Amino acid sequence: MSVALRAPTTPSAAATPAPPSAARALRAVVRRGLRDNRRAPLTWGGSLGLMGGLMAALWPAIEDSMDELMKSYPPALKDAFNITELNSVEAYVDGEMLSFIVPLAIAFLAVRCATRAISMAEERGFLDAVLAAPLARRTLVAGSFIVCAAVVAVVLAVITALTWVTGTIAGAEPSLVVLGRGFANVWPLAMLFGGLALLAAGVLHRAASVTAVSVGVLAAMYIVDLMGKLADPIEPLRFASAFKYYGSAVQDGIDPLAFAGLALAGAALATAGALLFDRRDVR
Amino acid sequence: MTPVIETEKLTKRFGRDRGIEDVSLAVEAGEVFGFLGPNGAGKTTTIRTLLDLLRPTGGSARVFGLDSRRDSVAIHARVGNLPGEFAFDPRLSGREIVSFLAEIRGVPGLGRADLLAERFQADMDRPIGELSRGNRQKIGLVQAAFHKPDLLMLDEPTGGLDPLMQEEFLTFVGEEREHGRTVFLSSHELDEVERACDRVGIIREGRLVAVENVAEITGRAFRHVTIDFAHPVDPAEFRRIPGVAALEREGTRLTFKAHGDLDRVIKAAARHPVADIELVRPTLEEIFLTYYGRNGGA
Repeated sequence: MSVALRAPTTPSAAATPAPPSAARALRAVVRRGLRDNRRAPLTWGGSLGLMGGLMAALWPAIEDSMDELMKSYPPALKDAFNITELNSVEAYVDGEMLSFIVPLAIAFLAVRCATRAISMAEERGFLDAVLAAPLARRTLVAGSFIVCAAVVAVVLAVITALTWVTGTIAGAEPSLVVLGRGFANVWPLAMLFGGLALLAAGVLHRAASVTAVSVGVLAAMYIVDLMGKLADPIEPLRFASAFKYYGSAVQDGIDPLAFAGLALAGAALATAGALLFDRRDVR
Repeated sequence: MTPVIETEKLTKRFGRDRGIEDVSLAVEAGEVFGFLGPNGAGKTTTIRTLLDLLRPTGGSARVFGLDSRRDSVAIHARVGNLPGEFAFDPRLSGREIVSFLAEIRGVPGLGRADLLAERFQADMDRPIGELSRGNRQKIGLVQAAFHKPDLLMLDEPTGGLDPLMQEEFLTFVGEEREHGRTVFLSSHELDEVERACDRVGIIREGRLVAVENVAEITGRAFRHVTIDFAHPVDPAEFRRIPGVAALEREGTRLTFKAHGDLDRVIKAAARHPVADIELVRPTLEEIFLTYYGRNGGA
């Protein structure tokens, strides 16, 4: 049977929840995100680190044949992949991994990491519960960017460590500092694409669309940079590619301006993504 | 007193598709408000707009007197929400989900969550991806209510729950009302709304067609009347009475619907020897169908 309408009463003081706090919410999102990505150092860091370790371990066996190998490379190919001299284990790892596989793979990791907490969660209906809590959407985006930055940094550290340890055991005697700066230089590049993914998530509702846009831009930038090195007419377009500013930290050291510029560009894209996400429907 | 929920011509469209249109309602503190309508009528759209998950195309919504868009974080601190299909990362257990939400909300312990889990027999330690729909819904109920929100927004809350748990849920809603909390309960289960709610809003094709006190609506509506006379009577005598409809005669028995005042029906029956008389109130479902069957013309 129906229940008679009661006179309104005031909720008890004990029921009053804690006032919302952006810092507390951000901390919760970051902690949750780090837990969600806790396997990344093992899967991404472990697999790429083993690959790096294999390269470093091979170095003592192939070191003497490098001069001949260098002479066999066409100059354009050496330009395209930033191969100046293969006279050290660090340069070898740089040419084999840091000019192609690692930046692309880690940038993809950043895209995936950034997409997970927003687009993937939206698509699967998780955000209805999360965003009904006292959590501003921009805080969720900021937390995702921080998680992305931390996960990428840890994965790069694992790759560096595995490459260095394996190379050292194999007698290649790699420099931790030189290797470290080479891998560290990937971080701002990855942040740019993490930020780009968050920008896309600010507009698009589907994770596949966000990933496609971000990875499409990643591939396009890589190809433009590569082609620009090989063909003079395309060279001016390289300024629009993040890879132009990535360079080779193993050979030239870290360019602080490029490092900060890429990282800040990533943060700016993430900020724009947060503003757009704040304006749209969550489906 | 400021209504807990107040909307004014709240409208949400999805491009050319209808969402809700000019929904104006007020839900007072401490009441259980049922939001009734079939699937696709706009119940979920209304709730998601109130929660700022959807941005209104027009009109306004205020919750606790605060703007649903601008002050959404402050509102959410006092709201517990159970979506129609509660979903979360399937690898997480109920405990991990509630811990995460408790951290955001600044709730120090999970004591009440554990009590609710025990009450609803929710398995808090298995990944929710391994749970049935009903058991996931129990986790949803726990996460919606563990922080003692002033306002519970429950979208089809009993979907997948077994009858015993549905009963427990209705008891729980009653207790929440006893504690002065407000419950906004969307449902297409008429019996559930009739039993749990003080007032009911009926939404049809995106428009709120009626808001009624449940006790009044069931009391005011028509009655099914069955009268067994000692001998046959002329049905025209009853057909002439204003409010009498769908009159049928079967031997000495007359059956009809009587709208409004029953006084003339009783007096007309009293002119003949009556063997038996039965007056049955319609269910909310019948009333609901009446609204829907007449272009929402309540």
